[in-house]
Amino acid sequence: MGAEGRKMADNTNHDWHLETIMNQLGDSVLALSDDGIRAEVSEGGADPDEEAERTRTVLHESLQKLENVNRRLSNLGHTVYSNGWHRGRSGYHNACVTCGSFVSFIPATGEMRGEALDGRCPRRDECTVRRREASR
Amino acid sequence: MAHLPSFIDATPRFRHPEPLELALPPTQSINASRRSALLVENDKSLLEFLRRFLKDEGYAVRIAKNTEEGFRLYRDCGPFNVVLINYCTPKSEGLGIDCLSPQIHGVQLAMAIRDIDPSQGIIIAATAYRTAGEVPRPKELMDIPLLIDFSIFQLRNLLEKIEVDRAIKGLTSSELLQLQLFAKFRIRGLGRAARGRDWEDLLEEALCRTLIGAKDNQNGRHWNRRVSFVQHLKGAILSIASLWKRQFKEESTYLLSELLSHDAEGKDYSPIDNVASGHTLADQCLIENEEKDRVFGLFMDDSEALQLLRGLMDGLKKTEIVARYDLDEKKYAAALRRIRLKLLSRRNDGSRG
Repeated sequence: MGAEGRKMADNTNHDWHLETIMNQLGDSVLALSDDGIRAEVSEGGADPDEEAERTRTVLHESLQKLENVNRRLSNLGHTVYSNGWHRGRSGYHNACVTCGSFVSFIPATGEMRGEALDGRCPRRDECTVRRREASR
Repeated sequence: MAHLPSFIDATPRFRHPEPLELALPPTQSINASRRSALLVENDKSLLEFLRRFLKDEGYAVRIAKNTEEGFRLYRDCGPFNVVLINYCTPKSEGLGIDCLSPQIHGVQLAMAIRDIDPSQGIIIAATAYRTAGEVPRPKELMDIPLLIDFSIFQLRNLLEKIEVDRAIKGLTSSELLQLQLFAKFRIRGLGRAARGRDWEDLLEEALCRTLIGAKDNQNGRHWNRRVSFVQHLKGAILSIASLWKRQFKEESTYLLSELLSHDAEGKDYSPIDNVASGHTLADQCLIENEEKDRVFGLFMDDSEALQLLRGLMDGLKKTEIVARYDLDEKKYAAALRRIRLKLLSRRNDGSRG
């Protein structure tokens, strides 16, 4: 589709214009050289090293938040598979594969909720004994 | 500690292993190009199972049947992408597991490896325990993921976590800056659909989606190692931004109070009262136009930037913009830079931080 055609087709999409501009500006950032992006961040009044580390911290904290959920559940004996998380309106939801109790997690805040956090997995002992017997 | 016989000391004192003097020749590195794993396991069937699993996952695997051998392999061939150690592994060749003594050798090996490289990704398999909380280990190793349930899912996700952690540590400062700015512009593009979320929220969500994105999960976004981590996160950001936009449109959550004004007599009126009634998204149109005008208003004294913005707004490509407005490459790049700088300045970036 040519430029005019695109314009005609999108005239009915009210938020398309601003989004298109911002998206193309975002894409242009990825084409910048290492020196180019550092210079641009500096010129914008920020310290490029500080901003880079801030971004790394955001990523690490996100990793840690999910890890905290998994660790807390594991400490309580619940078995929650990472690939069992399902996205909902208010975060991610999962359930212990052993006892079926639910847990939810909001990435932005790290907040955890659900009956799985109320106590130890009630069916954990049963499953461990069964597993040990099977291995004999 | 219900699973440990009562004669086993449940809280063994951990000590670093003695430096190992080995007469064996150094081993050759296999870590140059492929992902690599060191597997320390003495049970033959488990060893074979794990070796095959890791190989299928794309790892070149080194195997040790005791912790001394594991240490030697690590010293000579490390670092590895991941080191998987069975909690109950004997110290030396020819020795079995002494059930009458605390099982400390696996933990000692993990500590020795951490001494060499504190960032080495390690997994400890402690399947004899019911919960992670019951596994005796020193506080220095509390952050090491434990494999309590011997399931492929668990193992695959622990590996994913370690790989992602490694990838984050490996990002250069310019790559990190690119991700930050890319996310900032996506948030700006979302407008009200961002619902107060900022670039950090977008990036956090992208990473979260990666971590739950095992190959077999439709909800997450699996990181295909054939693309770089930056490219992967970029794709995840795009996908999440698009989802937020869709959700926002579905819900159309505009508050009437945000649009209401008062006339001279103090009577409420809404600017959408005068918009054609057939226009289902009239209120949204007004708000978006206002933001668009604000952005254009920032460049009233910069004609080249205005031209470029108009071109971008019309969805033109770089070559089309250059041709339409008679700009050359240098002018185009300079105007683009001025736009980015102005929009991302602290006064205009619209973020909370």
